Amino acid sequence: MNRRDFIKAGTAVAAIPFLLPEQLFAEAAREGEKQADAMPLTPRIEGGVKEFNLWIEIVEHELAPGMVIHTLAFNGQVPGPEIRVTVGDKVRVKFKNRTDLNHTIHWHGLYVPWRMDGVPYVTQMPVMPGQEFIYEFVAKPGGTHFYHCHWGTLLHMQSGMFGSIIIDDPDDPVKKQFPYNREYTLIYSAHDVNFLRTELNSMLERMKERMYLMKNNRFDKERFALFNSKKELEDAIKNGYQPPYVTNRRSQADLPDPNWFTVNGKSYPSTPNLFIKKDESIRVRLINAGTEEHFLHLHGHDFWQVADDGVPVPQPWQMNTIRLSPGKTLDIIVEGNNPGIWTFHDHDTRRVTNNGLYPGGNLLALIYEDLPIEERRVGKMKGMKMKKGKMDLLPKIALDE
Amino acid sequence: MKTDRKYNLIPLAFFFILLLPMHAAAQVTPAIQLAGRGVMSFNTYDRAGGFGADGNSVVSDFSDTGILLGVRQKLYNDYRSRFVVGFQFPDADSDLGQVFFHQVHFQLENKWSVFRIGRTRIRSSLIEFPTLRDDDAIKLTDVLNPFSSGKNTEESQYGNVVEAGVIYRQRVHLFVHGEHFTVTPVSAEDSEEDFSLNSFGGTLEYRVPEVQRFNRNIVTQLGLGWNNFLTHREGYTGFDETLKNVLFSAVLNLIPDPVYFLDLRHQTIYNFGFDEVSAVNTYADLSRAKSVNNFTALRFLYRKLERPTAQLSLGVGSKIFPDLTNSTREISVIVNGFYRLGENLDIGLQYQFMNYKGDLLDLYPETDQSIKLALVFSFEQFWNEYYDERNSLLNLEHGYLP
Repeated sequence: MNRRDFIKAGTAVAAIPFLLPEQLFAEAAREGEKQADAMPLTPRIEGGVKEFNLWIEIVEHELAPGMVIHTLAFNGQVPGPEIRVTVGDKVRVKFKNRTDLNHTIHWHGLYVPWRMDGVPYVTQMPVMPGQEFIYEFVAKPGGTHFYHCHWGTLLHMQSGMFGSIIIDDPDDPVKKQFPYNREYTLIYSAHDVNFLRTELNSMLERMKERMYLMKNNRFDKERFALFNSKKELEDAIKNGYQPPYVTNRRSQADLPDPNWFTVNGKSYPSTPNLFIKKDESIRVRLINAGTEEHFLHLHGHDFWQVADDGVPVPQPWQMNTIRLSPGKTLDIIVEGNNPGIWTFHDHDTRRVTNNGLYPGGNLLALIYEDLPIEERRVGKMKGMKMKKGKMDLLPKIALDE
Repeated sequence: MKTDRKYNLIPLAFFFILLLPMHAAAQVTPAIQLAGRGVMSFNTYDRAGGFGADGNSVVSDFSDTGILLGVRQKLYNDYRSRFVVGFQFPDADSDLGQVFFHQVHFQLENKWSVFRIGRTRIRSSLIEFPTLRDDDAIKLTDVLNPFSSGKNTEESQYGNVVEAGVIYRQRVHLFVHGEHFTVTPVSAEDSEEDFSLNSFGGTLEYRVPEVQRFNRNIVTQLGLGWNNFLTHREGYTGFDETLKNVLFSAVLNLIPDPVYFLDLRHQTIYNFGFDEVSAVNTYADLSRAKSVNNFTALRFLYRKLERPTAQLSLGVGSKIFPDLTNSTREISVIVNGFYRLGENLDIGLQYQFMNYKGDLLDLYPETDQSIKLALVFSFEQFWNEYYDERNSLLNLEHGYLP
């Protein structure tokens, strides 16, 4: 490569973040948006039971263009596929563990039998590497809920082990009050990618040892840090056992400090967008599967909050910023009454960053797809030459440093 | 004049205003690694017969203590870089001064290749043995530096290296290397001036990554090495002028049990030597005489709560000289045990027996026994570890991320 080629290549690289994609209205871009949404899982009907297959594996997952990490993924995707059933459906979920780690599935917000609640050593034994566990329950209550792993929850949840479960209610008061045809599910999460990597490696390494011992029918309470009672633990300590949390066995807490913030597993500019038409109403189901609070603000609109933790609120009210705490689900209705392209983002703008760089994170847009093309043109910047078809239409992907 | 100075400062101020933010944006904090080992031992020796038989002696010894600082960074392509600086406290009579910089090197690597340049461990040995200090059995475990005076062991362990290698399927490592071995003695008024490469060679290794050691792999390591020293040999030219050594090594997990772990290590070094060396009277003869080294160690490791708790090892080695007529040979037995008192700190006890015969009695005592009671503090700490090592389980088993 000669000097001129080098300069040319350097210019091209520098220009990429400002040129792609040219606009979000193209059909190809819309198809891409569908992929970014949580795709519903198709059930098999078996004796009146809706049967779903879920498995967990470790995959390479792209948070944003150029940023790939190892994550846990239900059915190879983050978030896991959306499970969609109707109130009263009999549901069976066959869960297969295809990793070297332990897992369970907790059905967050559902009235499942307690044995199906997915809490290891409380309601069930963990689903160990290669094992399968079958969860069975009747779908209730209606509304927006989610599922997630309850083993090593701090690590496994932010590693991607979450997905939505939507229980439709034929008598849903929301649909009666705000008739809509389109709806979206947005699952928020936050990730300390360094924590994920080091802890996943560490857990995988420990599990290699433990699985060796398990296969040879050797179980050691102290080695597995698993005791039948508090007294048994206290007795072990009296006999010299050092629990894993004491300071001479573990350094001062390195709690995760998230530096990537995702919606449906993606950070801006890969976040999914919301599409609407003038005079249309859309329902947006918001789920916080992460550890951070989000203060979601929609520009140019007041939306209706219509459900809280899946429960329809008796008196919907309007707001433009909503607080989404960890573990919460909230449903909102957006009325298409102000055409344009409007950002919908966390107003704690620390979460609108990728690795500390703004913009990024959970930034996305509400896009009126019937916005006339002449309203999407960019004003010409003085002194800047623009090639036709390159920088003339909004919106752009703009990254700064 | 005052006005002139004012005008001169303005462009300078602009320069700094523009420059500083650029620097701030460009800085990407590297991953930082700090490692160290403190080895403090109380040694008793009993030497009898031969050369250097000084009876009993007792010393306190902190040699092999050292610190290692490394920084590493992901590059803009798929490569990673690493820069390491480290120093050690050598033996008191080593002639190396108070501190010896044993590691000052730079490394560039991607998924399948490695390039390293600078001072680092020379490939004079393919594997490590469980001894208290790295050089406790160096005459049997390493190819000896023929350019050295033999005053210290560091000159056979460390040198200025340039090496490149390829890694196939994460386990097969093929390296070619060239190095400058330190040349001693150097007269008091001079310092070493010629740093040209005086050795080259290659290694081919099958090596199971450390994190996969419990995958029931019986064969953990198999290695073949070749070292070619560019020695000056009277009456010979070209390849015949050089001193050649081949190495073979193997590590077997006899019992790959996470709690009661047992492995066996073996290395053979065959020194082709020079035919004209018919007696060993000096260190130069020792490194140039045809010889066969064998060293085998059996190690038992008890790991309670998924970390080392205690270790016992037995090492046996010999060095024979097929071309020497008077049964010249060395044998060595090392028995040691370590017990972990807490994170980082081990207490250890080592007994070593060495016996020399034939010509070697001109260089060493007939029997050399030692008992060492040691405290070893070792640590390795990372900061800002923002990407994985090549050999992490995620990279090995779930797709390599550059």
